[in-house]
Amino acid sequence: MTRRDRVRVLVAVVVTLAIVVPLGWMWWNSRLPSSYSVMDMGYPDYGGGARPAGAHEQMAGMEHAPGGTSVTALDTPKGRRPDVAVDLTARQGKVHLADGRTIDGYTVNGTSPGPTITATEGQLVEVHVRNADVTGGIAIHWHGVDVPNAEDGVAGVTQNAIKPGHEHTYRWVAPHAGTFWYHSHQMSHEQVAGGLLGPIVIEPKTPEQGVQEALAVLHLYDGKETVNGRTGFEPVEAAPGQRVRVRAVNTDNGPQAMWTSTPYRLAASDGYDVHQPTEVDGKSVVVPAGGRVDLEVTVPEDGSGVRVSLGNTGLVLGPSGAKAPASPQPTKHLDLLHYGSPTEVPFDTEQADRRFTYSIGRKPGFIDGKPGYWWSINGHLYPDMPMMTVREGDVVHMTISNHSGQVHPMHLHGHHAVVLTRDGKPVTGSPWWFDSLDVQNGESFEVAFVANNPGIWMDHCHNLKHAAQGMVTHLMYEGVTTPYELGSDSGNEPE
Amino acid sequence: MRATFKALCHTIAGLVVVQAAAIAFAMFGVLHFVDGGDSLNKSLAEDRSGFDGAAGWVVHSFGAILISVIAIVLLILSLFAKIPGGTKWAGILFGVVLLQWVLAIVAFGAPVVGALHAINAFAIAGVAERAAKQAGAVAPGAPTAEAAAVT
Repeated sequence: MTRRDRVRVLVAVVVTLAIVVPLGWMWWNSRLPSSYSVMDMGYPDYGGGARPAGAHEQMAGMEHAPGGTSVTALDTPKGRRPDVAVDLTARQGKVHLADGRTIDGYTVNGTSPGPTITATEGQLVEVHVRNADVTGGIAIHWHGVDVPNAEDGVAGVTQNAIKPGHEHTYRWVAPHAGTFWYHSHQMSHEQVAGGLLGPIVIEPKTPEQGVQEALAVLHLYDGKETVNGRTGFEPVEAAPGQRVRVRAVNTDNGPQAMWTSTPYRLAASDGYDVHQPTEVDGKSVVVPAGGRVDLEVTVPEDGSGVRVSLGNTGLVLGPSGAKAPASPQPTKHLDLLHYGSPTEVPFDTEQADRRFTYSIGRKPGFIDGKPGYWWSINGHLYPDMPMMTVREGDVVHMTISNHSGQVHPMHLHGHHAVVLTRDGKPVTGSPWWFDSLDVQNGESFEVAFVANNPGIWMDHCHNLKHAAQGMVTHLMYEGVTTPYELGSDSGNEPE
Repeated sequence: MRATFKALCHTIAGLVVVQAAAIAFAMFGVLHFVDGGDSLNKSLAEDRSGFDGAAGWVVHSFGAILISVIAIVLLILSLFAKIPGGTKWAGILFGVVLLQWVLAIVAFGAPVVGALHAINAFAIAGVAERAAKQAGAVAPGAPTAEAAAVT
């Protein structure tokens, strides 16, 4: 070997190490421990607000001093008798759908979608959940219902996964009338896709008279879109001239346009009534993944039906055997930024105690040893996520922006937030309340909420495939701790 | 080493062809699906069994990772293989593969950029073949017998 050759090899080795060592180091560092607490995840973000005494910059875990409140203590007070008692049994295996197909998946009380939980605002709902044979364990989350933290049903954060043969009782007072849904929050990207879900309808204390109701639960089973477990259009009997409120739930991973063959009013979105909704014609309303909309239509007097479309599937409302006209999908979407009329919001949205930035991007790297082009939050990959820390009573502003190339339906547990601006343009219509908000690529939303429900709350992407890829952050109240753990040893895998 | 270098270059060029085939399968699948009067949403489009051709997405995204990994391996290999201009061409190849990722990501938000993504695919295949050709080149001053022995 000549001297020149030796230098060449040396240079080659050095350059190779310069490529391989950082990659190896990133790979090694990205591996998740076999068990870890959500409290030790990522870095604290106080949103410019007060820091807890003795808080350390490096680790969120440093602040949970002894004497904090455990999530287990943030439950619904015992003693009161339930107004509504429900038994839910989850099973794994064959699912017989309403449209006659049999697929592999999950059932609740033998069906999918599972039974509807119905209650009236203010009632105490007690749900007794039994896992018959779901090998990976289950946990039931009440999507959009702002329940106390201990009842939130997130495996590894608010409880341990319910193992096969075990049970868990959830108790919550229905806080707000509206359309909601329940689904598993253990291995959710698989269990929700497989059908471990069902609708929740909370009626107001004084229901509006003369309005019929219909449910439309959208779910993709084995490659086919269905409403209430049926492909095509399900007939719902309604008399001519009857007003019908259709409660639609999008249980899928992507947004779904919804439209009707007659004009409609958007009565509510994400369980909150729109203030003075006007009649909409020639526009669809987009239901974000995890989101709900209530549309109100009137059955025509001429004996025909109303077609309510959610893509290829939906409902036909009308007298028995009524035909509904075909209704092509409108190309325009209803913009909630300018829909309805303004009304008061029960807190001062001008004054923020904390301002968080939630910037969604994408970058190459490793997550738990797997290389990929992953979703990032504020430039970081899971689990190095911001732990948004608040104090009870804070008014919180959050700027959610997306430059990742794809839409993300962002879902904050335990709270409803109100949109202030989108791309700098303020809301001019009804207050736009949400728990599941589609943030399109290139969009930036400024939203506000009151930190009025202590606990540790997930704030994640409800494209559950994205969540499983690490699009998960948490909102933590100062002084709240959790005894539960995540990771392979814990048996808890919420996504 | 030269033979491996050459083989990996050809593999990348071949995978570019697979990528084009997979994406055409997916796109025609989409058109066929909507021709039937069905409307496609994101949930369906991203579901493996959502429509005939959906497998094309899966192959395409897996192929993208595979090509990137091979491009890195090739770059490292070029440092050790005594191929004149080998590192230069492996470097250019890595560069156009990286550019392909950037174009793909931007194209999700700005579909017109997708056209550049397709054009750059030809650049990747072309550069890969050019690099493969380089493996047959003889180092200046090196005995021809050695080159013959390793190729």
